[in-house]
Amino acid sequence: MLAGGRSSRMGTPKAALEWHGSTLLRRTVGIAGRSAGGPVVVVRAIGQDLPPLPQGTIVVDDPREGKGPVQGIAAGLAALRGHAETAFITSTDLPFLHPAFIRRVLCELDGPDAPDVALPVARGYPQPLAAGYRVALAEIAERLVKEDRLRPAFLFEECAVNRLDDDALRADPVLAALDPELDSVLNVNTPDDYQAARQRPAPEVTVQLFGALVKSGRPGGPRPVRAATVRGAADAVNLPFDRHVTAALNGDQITRDGLTPLAAGDTVFFLSADAGG
Amino acid sequence: MAPGGYFGQALLVDVTDGTSVTLPLPDEVLRAYLGGAGLGTWLLHRVGPPGVDPLGPGAPLAFVFSPLVGTPLTTSAKFAVVAKSPLTGMLTDALASSQFAIAGKLTGHDAIVITGRAAVPSVLLADADGVRLLDAADLAGLPAADADTVLRDRLGRGWRVAAIGPAGERGIRYATISHDGRHAGRGGLGAVMGAKNLKAIAVRAGSKVAVSDPPAVLAAARDLRERSFGPATAKYRELGTLANLLAFNAISALPTRNFAAATFAGAGRLSGETPAPEAAAGESGASGPAPANLGEMRRVARSSCASCTIGCEHIYRVGGGKKARVEYENVFALGPMCGVSDPDAVLAASARCDEFGIDTISAGGTIAWAMECAERGLIDAPWLRFGDPGALLRALEEIGEAATPLGSLLATGSRAAARTVGGDSATFAPHVKGLEMPGYEPRTLHAMALGLAVNARGADHNRSGAYEADLSGDLDRLDGGDAHAAAAVETEDRAAVMDSMILCKFLRGVFTDPFGEWAALLSAVTGWDVTGTELRETARRIVLAKRVYNIREGWQPADDWLPGRLLSEPLKLPSGREARLTPARLRAMIDAYYELRGLDGAGRPHKDSLANLLL
Repeated sequence: MLAGGRSSRMGTPKAALEWHGSTLLRRTVGIAGRSAGGPVVVVRAIGQDLPPLPQGTIVVDDPREGKGPVQGIAAGLAALRGHAETAFITSTDLPFLHPAFIRRVLCELDGPDAPDVALPVARGYPQPLAAGYRVALAEIAERLVKEDRLRPAFLFEECAVNRLDDDALRADPVLAALDPELDSVLNVNTPDDYQAARQRPAPEVTVQLFGALVKSGRPGGPRPVRAATVRGAADAVNLPFDRHVTAALNGDQITRDGLTPLAAGDTVFFLSADAGG
Repeated sequence: MAPGGYFGQALLVDVTDGTSVTLPLPDEVLRAYLGGAGLGTWLLHRVGPPGVDPLGPGAPLAFVFSPLVGTPLTTSAKFAVVAKSPLTGMLTDALASSQFAIAGKLTGHDAIVITGRAAVPSVLLADADGVRLLDAADLAGLPAADADTVLRDRLGRGWRVAAIGPAGERGIRYATISHDGRHAGRGGLGAVMGAKNLKAIAVRAGSKVAVSDPPAVLAAARDLRERSFGPATAKYRELGTLANLLAFNAISALPTRNFAAATFAGAGRLSGETPAPEAAAGESGASGPAPANLGEMRRVARSSCASCTIGCEHIYRVGGGKKARVEYENVFALGPMCGVSDPDAVLAASARCDEFGIDTISAGGTIAWAMECAERGLIDAPWLRFGDPGALLRALEEIGEAATPLGSLLATGSRAAARTVGGDSATFAPHVKGLEMPGYEPRTLHAMALGLAVNARGADHNRSGAYEADLSGDLDRLDGGDAHAAAAVETEDRAAVMDSMILCKFLRGVFTDPFGEWAALLSAVTGWDVTGTELRETARRIVLAKRVYNIREGWQPADDWLPGRLLSEPLKLPSGREARLTPARLRAMIDAYYELRGLDGAGRPHKDSLANLLL
C-alpha cells in the first residue's frame, strides 16, 4: 500500500482523510488484509505520520523521496520478500476497493504459466496501483529507480504482463455481482472527488445477531443495513459494540475492532464475546 | 492452625474395610496447589502408586474442595473429582457443583480420598461422626438422580449425595459421577467409583471453617455478585452455553458428522434461539416458515447451582414427564457430531446419558466414530448411520447396557474401539489421549487445536480455554503460530487457577485483571499475602504437576497430537478461505508451547523445574 504520495491536488494527506468514522488508509489496509491472506505493508514517506493501523501492519519508509510509484513498488515488494510470492499493490485513494477485485487480480498470478504482473485496464485506464505483482520483481524495480526510469511502463517492458480489461475482470462472477461498475478503481484526487465519494451511501451489508445479543427491539436478522465499518453495522442495528461483543466477517475473520472496513455484500455476524464454555 | 478457608487435612478412606486416616496437608502444599484440581493433582502424586490400574483397589479417587467453598462468593460451591482415568490412563479431573461441595468440605476435610474396594455394593457415609459403609444392593441399577433421592430420603436432613448410574456400575469407561443433576463428567470417574463397589458417597456438614478477613470477603462477595449480573454473563443467563451452537455454526467451528464438516444444516432446529430461515431449512433446503426448534419446543425453566448468581442452567422438557439440563456440549455431541437434527431425539439421548451416567461428549464422539465405521464397512451395523435419530438412541442403549458386542466395544471409548476395529479407523477416531473431542473445530480454531493437543486431561476445551484467543480477534484463527501458543498458555494458566480456587469459569468475563483480582479474593479468605505474580507461578506449577503425573503413568510425546483427519482434510469457509491445519503447523505450535512451558523438545520438564512442585 503506497501511502507516501504528495497528495498535492487534494491539499491534505489522503491517507488521513476521514472515511465513515475511519480513514482512507485504515480502510484500504483492512480491505487488503482480508483479501490477500498475507501481511499488509504500508510504504510511507520518511517522517510521514500515519493514522492508526491494525495490529500486524508492516510499515516501511520509502527511502527515496520524489521517485514516484515505482520506488514505492520497489520498497513494498522488497518488504514482502520471504513473506509472500505475489502481492496486490494499491494506493490509498481507492475508497471503493473491493476484496473481490483484489482476489480476481491476484488469481491471475496463480498457476505454472502465470505472468509476473496482472494489470487491470479498468474503466479505460491501466491501473498499476491496483494491480498484482510478483514479489521477485523487487530487484527490477529497484534497478529502474537507480536508473531514474520511474514510470511503471518501464517495469512492464521487462516482465510478463497480463492485462485485464473490464470484461476480463467481470468474468469473475463474484466481482461482477459485488462491483459491477468496477468502482474499485475509482480514485479520489481532488477535494471535489473526495466529497462526491464521501456522499455516496455506505455499502450494503447483511447483519445477523446471535444468542443473548438478540433482544426485543433488536431482532436477530439477517437483515440488510448500510455500513462502512463494523461499528457502523453495529450502530445500524442498535447494538453497543463493546468488549462483550465480537464480529465475524463472512463467517471468517473475527474482529473486535470497530474500524474494520466493510464492503458491499459482506455478512457481519455479531456474537457474544464470551464464547465457549 | 490451618489458613482461612481450610481444615488443613484430607480424609483417606479405604473402603475395603471402612477404615480412615487423616492426612495433614501442610500450609505450603495448600498455598502451592490451592484446592480443587490443583490439590487433587498433588494428592494423586502423593497417594496414587505409579502404574496403578485405574480400576484397581489401589487407585485413589479424590473429592477435593477449595478454600472458597462455603464462602458467600458467587459460583464457589464446586468440587473437583480427581483420579487416574480408565479412559485415558492419565490424570483426569472433573468439576461438579452445588451442595455436595459445601457439605463435603464441612465434614472437616479439604479432600476425601477413597481407595480400596468395598466387599459388597455400598454407599460411603462421611460426616462429623466419621466414615461408615452402608449396604447399597437395593440401589443397583438406579440412575444417579434416583439413587440420590432414595438416599436422602433414607438418611434424612443435611445429607448430600454424589452417585453413579448403571454405567459406572458396569465399568463403562466414560461413566460419570453425578450430584443433583450436575456431573463430574469427563474421563470415566464413574467407572473408578464403580470399581470400588461404591454406588454413592453421602456427606453431611458437621464442622465450620473460618475465613481470614470476613468483612473483606463479604465486600468481595457483594462486588462479585453485582458484576455477575452484568453483560459478561448475559449469554449464560439468557440461553446458556447452547448459545454457542448457532454462533459456532456461523463461523464454521461446529464439528459435524465426526469432523467431516464444520457447519451443520440442521443447527437451527437444535438451537435455543429462533433460527434464521436458512438455518432452519434443514438439509433438504426447504423454504417456508421455520419449524419449531429445541428452545421453542422445550425450554421450561432456568436454574442455578448453590451459591451461584448467574443461573446458567436451562431446563428442557424431554418427554415422558422428564426434564433435562441442556448444554452446548451435549447437544453438539448427540446432534451435529452424529448428524442428527431431531431435537426430540437429541434431548432424549441427553436424558438417557444422564440416566445411565455417561459423558455425553464421549458418548456422542464414540457413536459418531462408529457411524462412520459402519458406513465404511468396518463395523457390521447397517442400521448405524449418520443422521438417523433411531440409530443414535439404539447405539446409546447398547453402550449403556454394555450387553451386546457392539455396546461393549463402544463402551471402551473411540480409541480402544479403534484399536479393536483396526483398518484406518484410528485416523478418524475423535480423541486426544483417549478423551473424545468437544465441540470446537480445530481446523478453524488453531489456538484451540493446540490446547486440545497438549492438555493433560486429553481433548479438553475446559482445562484449555484457548478458543477464547481464537475468538478474540487478536489473532488469525486459521494461521496458528507463536502467538497462538502464548495464548494457549495464558488460558490454560487461568483455567488451572479457576479450577483450583475454585470459581466457575462462566464468571471469567467479569475480571479485568484476573490474576490480581483472584489473588485479592484468596488473600481475604486465607490470610495469605497472595499476589497475581504468585498465582501465575501457581498456575504453572499445577499444569506442570499434571504433566509430570502423566509422564509417570506412561505419557509419550506422540500423545500430544490430534487425530489424522484433522491434519489431512482441510475445510473451506464460506468466505472461500481454506481452513487447513498441517502437521508442520501443529508441530511448530506444540514446540512453541513446550518452550514457553519450560519443557524440552520432547515435552518433558527439565530436572531443575521439578524442585518446587513439592511432590
